[in-house]
Amino acid sequence: MSLNAIKRALWAYHINTGSCNGCDIEILAALTPRYDVERFGIMLVGSPRHADVLLVTGPVARQMAPRLKRVYEQTPDPKVVIVVGSCGSEGGVFYESYNLVGPVDQHIPVDIYVPGCPPRPEAIIEAVAKAWVKLEKAEQEVA
Amino acid sequence: MSILGLSYSPWSPIFWLLAFVVVMIMAYFFRRRGQKKYKKGTTQTKIFLCGEEVPEAKQRHIRAHNVYWGFFETMKEYYDANIKAHTGIINDYVIWFLVVIAISGIILFIAGVV
Repeated sequence: MSLNAIKRALWAYHINTGSCNGCDIEILAALTPRYDVERFGIMLVGSPRHADVLLVTGPVARQMAPRLKRVYEQTPDPKVVIVVGSCGSEGGVFYESYNLVGPVDQHIPVDIYVPGCPPRPEAIIEAVAKAWVKLEKAEQEVA
Repeated sequence: MSILGLSYSPWSPIFWLLAFVVVMIMAYFFRRRGQKKYKKGTTQTKIFLCGEEVPEAKQRHIRAHNVYWGFFETMKEYYDANIKAHTGIINDYVIWFLVVIAISGIILFIAGVV
């Protein structure tokens, strides 16, 4: 599929909702010289207001739920939400823990799930590539 | 030479005016290239504070007193004594004035100046 509607690289905002940092490290690994997604212009940004993609890690701790919603609302449309890791997808090893209110899709709409504990950088990069295609379709629908 | 002369000088008003115009044009150019799809009146146009709720403008401001906190803490004894003396009542200030004048007069009298 050729990309016509989106004529820029994707920028992602990473939010940790209580992750053990395993998934966060794998996201950073995708930016290291071995994978180097920045050569495609894909990079992490410091504010959701600049982002096309939300990378969510963690099983959503009780305190993080309103913050996650706020970050989602502050991301401009069209946007794609990628959940990285088993915890955010279905609770993982923290399933039914007393201080969790997740998984992520109980609070915000999720477009792509990347299972794994943690998932490999290749899987995260594939998810971002899929997000690109989804955004392309969303942009075309808006236009 | 007139102050409005066009020769180069960092204090020339023409120079500053031109710099201001150039900066405004650049700001307008970058602003035009910005994101236009924000939904007005929603959270999307509010300040981003890492997902935290944005407090009221009054609570966001850092007052001068906060900046000088260490200074006031170090000089606490001095300020406590002085703040007590400054009651805000004009009668107290007049009494202080008279007392200082009286003491100064006595010192000057003893010293033989007057």
